[in-house]
Amino acid sequence: MTDKKTALDAQTIAPHGIDKQALDKQSLDRQSLDRQSLDRQSLDKQAMPTIKQGFWRSKRFNIWLKKRVPPAKVVTLGQRNIFILPTGQGLYFVVLIFFMMLAGINYQNSLIFALAFLLISLFIVSILHTFRNLSGLTIQAGQAGPVFSGQDAAFTVTLSRNGARTYESIVLGWHADMMQGADLLDNTEDQARLYVTTGQRGWFNPGRLLIQTNYPVGLFRAWSWVDLDMSVLVYPGPVAGGDIPVSLVAVNEGEALLKSGTDDFHGLRQHQAGDSLRHIAWKSYARTDELLTKEFNSFVDRTVWLDWDHFTAMDPEARLSRLCFLVVQLSQMTDDYGLRIPGILIQPANNPEHKNKVLKALALFGLDPDE
Amino acid sequence: MSSLSPVTGYEIPRNSLAWMLFAQVAVIAPHLVRLPWWIIMVCFACGFWRVMVYQGRWSYPPRWVKVCFVFSGLIGIPLGYSKIYALEPAIALLVIAFVLKLLEMHHKRDAYIVILLAYFVAITEFLFFQSIPYTLYMFATVVMITTALIGLHQTKSHMKPLQTFRTAVVLLAQSIPLMLVLFVLFPRIAPLWSVPLQTGVAKTGVTDVMSPGDISSLAQSDALAFTATFETDPPPYGALYWRGLVLSEFDGKSWSQAPDLRRSIWRQGEAPPEWSNNLSYIGKSYNYSIIMEPNQQSWLFSLAMPVLPANRDYVILRDFRLAAVKPVRQRIRYALRSSLEYRIDPQLTNFYRYRYTRIPAQSNPQSQSLAKKMYREASSPQGYINDVLRMYHFEEFVYTLKPPLLGGESIDEFLLQSRRGFCEHFAGSFVFLMRAAGIPARVVLGYQGGEYNPSGKYVAVRQFDAHAWAEVWLEDKGWVRFDPTSAVAPERVERGLEAAVAGENTFLEGSPLSIFRYRQLLWLTELRLQLGSIAYYWDSWVVGYTPDRQMSLLSKYFDRMNRQRLGSIMLAVFFTVLGLLAVFILRKRSRAVVAPLDAEFLKFCRLMQKRGCARKTGEGPFDYGARLALYTPELATEIDSVVSEYVRLNYSCAGNNSAQPNIKSLRQMVRALKIRALTTRV
Repeated sequence: MTDKKTALDAQTIAPHGIDKQALDKQSLDRQSLDRQSLDRQSLDKQAMPTIKQGFWRSKRFNIWLKKRVPPAKVVTLGQRNIFILPTGQGLYFVVLIFFMMLAGINYQNSLIFALAFLLISLFIVSILHTFRNLSGLTIQAGQAGPVFSGQDAAFTVTLSRNGARTYESIVLGWHADMMQGADLLDNTEDQARLYVTTGQRGWFNPGRLLIQTNYPVGLFRAWSWVDLDMSVLVYPGPVAGGDIPVSLVAVNEGEALLKSGTDDFHGLRQHQAGDSLRHIAWKSYARTDELLTKEFNSFVDRTVWLDWDHFTAMDPEARLSRLCFLVVQLSQMTDDYGLRIPGILIQPANNPEHKNKVLKALALFGLDPDE
Repeated sequence: MSSLSPVTGYEIPRNSLAWMLFAQVAVIAPHLVRLPWWIIMVCFACGFWRVMVYQGRWSYPPRWVKVCFVFSGLIGIPLGYSKIYALEPAIALLVIAFVLKLLEMHHKRDAYIVILLAYFVAITEFLFFQSIPYTLYMFATVVMITTALIGLHQTKSHMKPLQTFRTAVVLLAQSIPLMLVLFVLFPRIAPLWSVPLQTGVAKTGVTDVMSPGDISSLAQSDALAFTATFETDPPPYGALYWRGLVLSEFDGKSWSQAPDLRRSIWRQGEAPPEWSNNLSYIGKSYNYSIIMEPNQQSWLFSLAMPVLPANRDYVILRDFRLAAVKPVRQRIRYALRSSLEYRIDPQLTNFYRYRYTRIPAQSNPQSQSLAKKMYREASSPQGYINDVLRMYHFEEFVYTLKPPLLGGESIDEFLLQSRRGFCEHFAGSFVFLMRAAGIPARVVLGYQGGEYNPSGKYVAVRQFDAHAWAEVWLEDKGWVRFDPTSAVAPERVERGLEAAVAGENTFLEGSPLSIFRYRQLLWLTELRLQLGSIAYYWDSWVVGYTPDRQMSLLSKYFDRMNRQRLGSIMLAVFFTVLGLLAVFILRKRSRAVVAPLDAEFLKFCRLMQKRGCARKTGEGPFDYGARLALYTPELATEIDSVVSEYVRLNYSCAGNNSAQPNIKSLRQMVRALKIRALTTRV
């Protein structure tokens, strides 16, 4: 369960495909432990419909919803934004009451009537209680760290209550199988980490957050779709492809001197056309008449340029994914790396901010950054 | 405590499961007496298995075990019950499904089905019993089932079963006002179709065949037969002859009904039969209603002579007795008007004269000759009747609950040898003597007397009030009631059976625990009458709240009552009550949460305020304590200990918000102060 939302740092990142396979394997293992697991999951999905269903998804409804529940960083639930309808269980309950009433009528049994009426009343009163279990709850948006495309983004949402009213069995999330439960009984505040599977790179808006409860008796479901105005940056999904383009670039003298104060003589090799005249070992030439070039490694920096043109004959997204993979690889090494893609040039460096800067550039390449 | 938990995957919360198992036991327990032994075994096996699963010792049963269980149910029920379309096998099936589902609770849906079944099994109990204790018990089980339902929707970390129970109680308590509205105002309708009723239930009360010993065995029971409520004061005890059955056939040993006399019926809304003109009422009439306990028989009891009831379910037969169209399988209530003075059949056709004087020619020859001899000596039929009654009175006849067993010629043996008998012996022999002398006569079965409950203003008639007497036809007078028992034991008719058999101490001999045996204990009798009247109101106003009763009650308060109007009244009241409930449930509880420690100190402050020295705003505990000590020096030591304990506790957990101080000591001190304050009140 939690393994599905493993840490999101780049150290353990694997390409999307592998990640999914591993997951499937885990769930298979679980299934072999419990044969019923599969339909159980599908059942739970049934029990908790999400935003992605029929009418609720329609454009007209969403326009109306946007007016009624406008986006905000802090939302307090109340009559304006809580919806309530009977659950499937609630309908079964109605069927039960119907049969009880039939028994009461046909047997002319007042006590059966009484019990049926009690259950009708319970049904009605539970509307109030279920509504009460959301009403007055305050939801506050928290931060979410960037993720790679296809991974689950983790949003932090703070639930809090004001006053003596307690809340129980609140369920929130974006996806039926990624819902989180929360109680506010002894505590006045609770933080929920919510996961949502991301799609394409760029700014990802998870949409409206579903927050629902069917406490106390599960006959009614009260819910709200709150737009907490949250978004997360999604980097391109890393795809392994090709080696790191190792390009040894001799830096010019000035920079090299700045870099290192000592000459770190490495060795000699045969002079080749194009070698700098300054590096010719004149002393050795005088002695042996052989033209050799001195190598000063410390004056040479291993700088990697991640270049758009490194990957040819690929569409932009594929290039971005491979570049992204390389960034992740390089960020674990010591070499500096720079980025050179159409319209963007980032000078080489190697530190976490630089990595984020590069990845952000990759994520937003060709997109409107403000979107 | 972190309350966050992922929701994927499913396991029934243990809290809910525990309540579910409790509720299941509670719901099935009352049915056990009616279920065949093998279903009980299956119940126990499933329950045991489930508890083992709950404790983690066993796993769920393999498929073949479940298949075996299911087949044992499917095969066993038709084998175990003679009739399939009946109530008991249906309930047995329901119970089996219910317990088997226990072993199949893998999903939330399964658990939910178990809960719904539990609710349904709970209502079936009401088909058998409707008394107050049963209702309270079933209500308690409903609370338990609801607790399980709530537990099902709580997060798994919620592990406080009693808190869940409290929530269920609150929820149901809030539902009660709405339930009452619906109960009183929801338009009740007549049955839509006929349903299988309880079968195999022993018929109770008087039977339509009377042989010697029948009624004396009935008199061993203190079970309620019916209650009668009079609009005015009830008639005197001696006039309470509840006429039920008329037995006109004698086969030499037992008396029975004449089947052909039951064919012609007089029913409301139908053309009255010719014989209905043979009835005339004289004098005062009584309005009363009877709530009859189910006895599985189709005869009803009434004071002679009833007026034809308005309800078409109740008819009058040729011998002017009341009968129900269908056997009384459930408690019924019928309203009657009876005139205690009446005349029926002033003239009798030869056919009926023959019928009512017919006896087997060879039976009881000694009695026949006795009758002929006495009739010759008497001047008139009336004189003959008086002679026979005088014989019962003056010769050594004994009224006893323990008559000796009689042989083939039972009337001869009774009249000439044993002379010890119960009402059936006297009524039977009396009618025989009349017939042997050529006077039309018949045996009437019913109840005589009953206990008047002054707080409930009703008469409760029990099985030991069962009685048999005679009706003799006299020229121009018609059928006249004679009770030969009253000639032997007048106290039976005036004060009831207990007084009549007081000498031999045989009243309710077979039931030593019966509360009726201790009538000499006044408080017990008082208690019994009180409980009896509560049960009576329950039966007449709750259990007996039928469509008719609803209409007649509500017509008192609303004009032009009909079903549509009732529906709209119900909706109006329902939504008003719902609105009030909504205000109550959704009210803002803005009151800040007070820590238990501070609450205790505030309690102390209120106590002192009542004493006349309120705490000033911003006054510290020590300052307040010092001022109080001056104000009430007699409480100084207690005040000091409370204040210093409060301050100590307050600082002991300073800087550690989560730590809850142990306020037990402070609570004790405040309590001690309160007691001291009460005892030293100025």
